Amino acid sequence: MINTGKFIEKSFFIAAIFSAALTFIIFVFMIFLSLPLFKGGLFFNILGNPWKPEHGIFGVYPMLIGTVLIVLLSLCWAFPLSLGSSVLISVIAPPRFSKLLKKIVQMMTGIPTVIYGFVGVFLLVPFIREMFNAGSGMNILTASLMLAMVISPTMIIIFTDSFENIPQAYSDAIDALGGSAIQKLIYVILPCSWKGILTGLILSLGRAMGDTLIALMIAGNAVAVPDSIFESARTLTSHIALVIAADFDSIEFRSIFTCGIVLYMFTTILILLVRFLGRMSLKNK
Amino acid sequence: MINSIVGRKLALIGLFFLITFCMVSASWAGPLDSFSGEKGDIKISGGTAHIPVMKDAAKNIMNYNNDISISIAGGGSGVGIKQVGEGLVDIGNSGRKPKDGEISKYGLKIFKWAIDGVGVVVNPENKVNSLKTQQLVDIFSGKIDNWKSLGGIDKQINVYTRDNSSGTREVFWKKGLNEGEITNKANFVVSNGAMKSAIANDPYGIGYVSVGHIDESVLPVTLDGVLPDITNIKNGSYKIARGLYSNTKGEPQGLAKKFIEYMFSTEGQQIVIKQGFVSVNQ
Amino acid sequence: MKQSFLEICIKSFAWFSGLFLLSAVFLIMCYLIIKGWGAFGFSLVFGDVPPLDALFLHRKVFSGLFPAIVGTYMLVILAVGMATPVGIAAGIYLAEYGKERIKSFFSLFYDILAGIPSIVIGLFGFSIAIFLHRYIKEIYPCLFISAMALAILVLPYLIRTTQFAMENIPEDVRLTAPALGADKLQNILYVLFPRSLSGITSGVILAIGRCAEDTAVIMLTGVVASAGIPKSLMSSYEALPFYIYYISSQYRTSQELQTGYGAAIILLLICAGLFLTAFFIKNIMIDRILYRS
Repeated sequence: MINTGKFIEKSFFIAAIFSAALTFIIFVFMIFLSLPLFKGGLFFNILGNPWKPEHGIFGVYPMLIGTVLIVLLSLCWAFPLSLGSSVLISVIAPPRFSKLLKKIVQMMTGIPTVIYGFVGVFLLVPFIREMFNAGSGMNILTASLMLAMVISPTMIIIFTDSFENIPQAYSDAIDALGGSAIQKLIYVILPCSWKGILTGLILSLGRAMGDTLIALMIAGNAVAVPDSIFESARTLTSHIALVIAADFDSIEFRSIFTCGIVLYMFTTILILLVRFLGRMSLKNK
Repeated sequence: MINSIVGRKLALIGLFFLITFCMVSASWAGPLDSFSGEKGDIKISGGTAHIPVMKDAAKNIMNYNNDISISIAGGGSGVGIKQVGEGLVDIGNSGRKPKDGEISKYGLKIFKWAIDGVGVVVNPENKVNSLKTQQLVDIFSGKIDNWKSLGGIDKQINVYTRDNSSGTREVFWKKGLNEGEITNKANFVVSNGAMKSAIANDPYGIGYVSVGHIDESVLPVTLDGVLPDITNIKNGSYKIARGLYSNTKGEPQGLAKKFIEYMFSTEGQQIVIKQGFVSVNQ
Repeated sequence: MKQSFLEICIKSFAWFSGLFLLSAVFLIMCYLIIKGWGAFGFSLVFGDVPPLDALFLHRKVFSGLFPAIVGTYMLVILAVGMATPVGIAAGIYLAEYGKERIKSFFSLFYDILAGIPSIVIGLFGFSIAIFLHRYIKEIYPCLFISAMALAILVLPYLIRTTQFAMENIPEDVRLTAPALGADKLQNILYVLFPRSLSGITSGVILAIGRCAEDTAVIMLTGVVASAGIPKSLMSSYEALPFYIYYISSQYRTSQELQTGYGAAIILLLICAGLFLTAFFIKNIMIDRILYRS
């Protein structure tokens, strides 16, 4: 019995170590496979070069820019929308409606991304094409709008959680002074929950950057550096999905590991930021 | 009155013959016989122009023998050649002839079972349905970027293209664009099927697609006065023609061998014709 | 009380955003249902094959969603089957054994793992398959490789839900068994783990949903457009989300497109069903704790 007990306890530990090691293994494996690129600084060339396979140039600079534009633009739509919806849920709406709204938002986190993409192709793309006279309608704007729909629910949930976690004493104080709900929002809730808002923003940024399907299906996947939001663009994630099928000894194929490493490092930085924020709020309390 | 009775009798006799013929052909069907008693998988990937033919052939074989599984993936010709060379699939399809380097590196065996062309297509709403080679080159390089200058409506031209592993792109680039540049603002699609539906959905789009895939949802563009269709490919007047190939690493073995034999059988070639390609037996 | 201009602005903006979001979701759902409703029926799933023949694998289904549904089902079972034991074990370790420093160190790793884009995990799976193929000829990107990659994808969720479920057990429950002489492991296995089972279960169900909907991982690790029912772990397979993606760009007839809409509705129903189940289980747990203690 003691031996089995020890064995079970050991296996808990091994499982924990194994799971943590996976994180590390994935990174090492990608570095290992893109190793030829690190010799002679090719790695950084790839980050700065355009994508011109017919001239033997396999840079991912356009995809880097495409990713940044689509992600930032989608945050521009999603942030105000989510902030407004969270205010509605936590402060303004009557309790029953707010409860319903919250449930719907939670359900929305479970809607498969591919479905947003599918509807995007047949509903949003033609609309944008005719509305803005914007080329094929598959462009940065279209992708960012759909992406905003994908990331909003998560953002709203994090925002409302942080709104509802403000110190009760502050909230009571405002009530005692006869402040309105909006005054409470402006003077207490928002100042108290800025860290939660920032956390939500960072996590959604990671979610938007990591999404593949939306950009792959409705951003058009062109390899030029986009000049405007009405131009078609390719993200790092969709670049991986498109090139994966290529010859796996070529530089073309290796370049997708560069994309993978960039995505990995960027999400790691975001997670570290979120943790840092979390530490700060713990100390304050 | 008498005519109709005779007609009915004739029809009955015809029906009788048809049924007998079906029964005979079902019991003595040559091409599928070799699959009886077989078991196992065939993995196929690569060329996307091939997919409709592959699917039909696979369906016939799997309906005949439920113990055989055939999986069909796309990816493009480059992928097909690479994957079959690495032994990841049994049959790698390509819409271009594998290069000499590829053949010698992997020891490929090449089987050309159909002739196809690459046609330029636009949306059926588009009034521009004929182009000169030079105009085509200018459109794809981005020099001409509005339909108006070609006699169409005042809208931006949306160029659609395929990625580098595509054999269709390679053939079109060589024979259609005379190796001219393709603008990097072009939208990318991943297969012939995707090209067709992209153009069918975009009233201002232009792209190139396997002739076998052209149907009423897109409008084929005559190039220098020649319409990309089966007849013009057969008589050699349409210049952007190419073969459809299936490749194996070394001599094909087992089920893969039987699959390729089936492609060359009468029934296999009928599928080729039904899907809009030119049979190699003619 | 007179409302200031700012208050009115904020209020109307909040209502606008909430209603905008609602109507956008509503629009998407309605569009799917209106477009896809016509496709519903046996033939959507089984094509022209009689359902019983298809279910008993007597005949292969070519024009229906049956292979894709079976593929998704097998994929989910495999992936969650692989991830759950490891996830729960690691979660228990984190909640009950880990010291504060180790805990925060490990959870950093789990958070990073949870943040890695699914396409990167797919890329990892694909590279593993190619890497192994050089030594073992039988390994290709296949059902097993996909399931493994998906298991990595959901592992951090499982660890975290287990950990939270265990940590949220009230202190008096936690102390009862040790007071009666149970050792730590007995306490975990017979008291704490059963007690947090509903929390863990809802986590597992959400992981199932995540596996069922993910497209980026599987499109790199072995899903194909046409494969039929997978014969073994080493076969290629079809899956619902990939089918939807595939159809969206390369449908050949309007009938195929209809099937795509049908597939989207089915996937949506599966995910919603899983979500509601998880929600239900979680709520039952809360009720139980409220009424018992």
